[in-house]
Amino acid sequence: MSGVESAGGARRAPGWRAWALLAPLLAWLLLFIVIPTGILFVYSFCERDELGRVVYTFTGESYARVFDPIYLRIFGWSVGYAALTTAICIVVGFPVAYQIGRARDPWRHRLLLLMMVPFWTSFLIRTYAWITILKQEGLLNAVWQALVPGHGPLDLLYTPTAVMIGLVYAYLPFMILPIYGSVEKLDPALIEAAHDLGAGQLRVFSAVIIPLTLPGIAAGTLLVFVPSIAMFAITDLMGGARVPLIGNVIQNQFMQARDWPFGAALGMVFMALFAVVYWVLGRWREREEAAG
Amino acid sequence: MNTPTLSRCLLGAVLALSAPAAVRAAGVLNLFGWSEYVPQTVIDAFTKETGIKVNFETYSSNEELISKLVAGGGRYDLVQPSDYAAEVMIRQKLLAPLDATKLGHRKNLLPEFQKRPHDPEDKYTVPYMSGTVGIVVNTEKVKTAVKSYREVFQPAFKNRIVVLNDNREIVTWALYTLGLPINKIPKENLAKVRPIIAEWVKLVKVFDSDSPKTALLNGDVDLGVVWSGEAAILWNQHKKFQYTIPAEGAHQYIDVLAIPTGAKNQAEAHQFINFILRPEVSKMISAAFPYTNPNGAARKLLTAAELANPASYPKGGKIETFRDIGKTAADIDRLVTDLKSAK
Repeated sequence: MSGVESAGGARRAPGWRAWALLAPLLAWLLLFIVIPTGILFVYSFCERDELGRVVYTFTGESYARVFDPIYLRIFGWSVGYAALTTAICIVVGFPVAYQIGRARDPWRHRLLLLMMVPFWTSFLIRTYAWITILKQEGLLNAVWQALVPGHGPLDLLYTPTAVMIGLVYAYLPFMILPIYGSVEKLDPALIEAAHDLGAGQLRVFSAVIIPLTLPGIAAGTLLVFVPSIAMFAITDLMGGARVPLIGNVIQNQFMQARDWPFGAALGMVFMALFAVVYWVLGRWREREEAAG
Repeated sequence: MNTPTLSRCLLGAVLALSAPAAVRAAGVLNLFGWSEYVPQTVIDAFTKETGIKVNFETYSSNEELISKLVAGGGRYDLVQPSDYAAEVMIRQKLLAPLDATKLGHRKNLLPEFQKRPHDPEDKYTVPYMSGTVGIVVNTEKVKTAVKSYREVFQPAFKNRIVVLNDNREIVTWALYTLGLPINKIPKENLAKVRPIIAEWVKLVKVFDSDSPKTALLNGDVDLGVVWSGEAAILWNQHKKFQYTIPAEGAHQYIDVLAIPTGAKNQAEAHQFINFILRPEVSKMISAAFPYTNPNGAARKLLTAAELANPASYPKGGKIETFRDIGKTAADIDRLVTDLKSAK
């Protein structure tokens, strides 16, 4: 933790050129992050009128509602779904990222390209494609019933399993890419050295590969956990909207219920949670780096 | 047409940011209507006859309409809210009174669509199309008669049911089964329906307001409580999908045409409303979208097949429109969210 600053040497103040180059990014952050968050923050202390318009009177009512047991339970469910999604993404994504990272050059680029191909199609269209695959008279059940005659159709669509399939499908690339980045930087000589020094496969994996790719895993965890906790489209479309997750509750406040202050309060609490997760992960990584 | 489609919401959000300001000019009408509700052929016919250019923007929920109307006052000349939304808009002085002398074809409307509670003197609104929320059954899969909410929500149909993902609708059905009023909902009545809805949500497989027909067509469910417009489309695809008005009573919605306060092209808006009220024009709308046509003269022009569609023209049954329920909506939202997440 203390090594970074002393190793950096003399620090220069950024000149006008640096500011000019940074300007587009700063303008973007201000316009699309800082200002909207400010609006949300103000709204979260307001009230709504009959038409759902925001009335500027100060009240903490919306925050009191956020901590109602109903919404805390939904919050718990959402964290559970997101954590499971992240765990599956790590388990499935790590070997894939490792193999791509270790592959020889023409193949590595081809495999990476294959990972990107789904992004050329709209997310919603891909989700509808999953409905076609999972539905009772769908592709998967046709194959299943041809292989196992006499068995009834699998009940997959509109179940929690379908939601998990949708979530893992949607976010797996966001786990694979950062891990791939770490694996690519991994020096094969270190693995060879570990083997030469008598470490077995398992030891090499746990004592060399995992610690060295941890920054990638941490980045991937953040990229998967944060968006999957707030996802509402998949739970609606593939889960049949049976169990509302926090994303659905927030979306409902802005669309159907038209209670923007409450939606804003949920959003603010949510953002605070993300900040905490980010901070914890950051501390964890720093400590790992300092220890390593 | 109370159906916000998810993809359209996302698209709408993008378009809202980039929508150009409507141009004010003579012979222009800025129409703001439901998506999938006003056929392009009708708009083209109007422009051809009158020379009035129609700028057509769409929305997918009453809430979206109200928020855009409040934000961009004066941009629209003609809007298409549902009855309960129109009621609130009238109370909030968002709608301008109509000039009855310019709406000669109004006499074509059936008596049951005149002077309804949302606009008791027909001062602000003209009915466009109407529909109900009722039971649709795949008769190839369900062999017993299902005529009431209680018969839909029985353990035998666990995981075979689709319902609208609309909290007020679900509460309304439960209120009907107890014979309680649907537009005056005191807290004790919500307490009474709570155990009923708790049982129901355990039986439902899909909650979907956007396209409940999909789960029925895909074979993932066998019956449900859906918009009649959806059921009419199902019936047109296959006659095995039978629609019934629930025995306990059903919600009827009437979507209306109305002119916002401060609209710049009110004469053109009146012209358009009167055009829609013509039987031969109204018939074109029915042909494109099989809702219940409130126009008596137009119904005489419909084909026998169109009139035979039980979802478009259900026989009998007690039907009621929604009234605005104010803050009770938040209690309903909380109740159903609670029960759905309790499983």
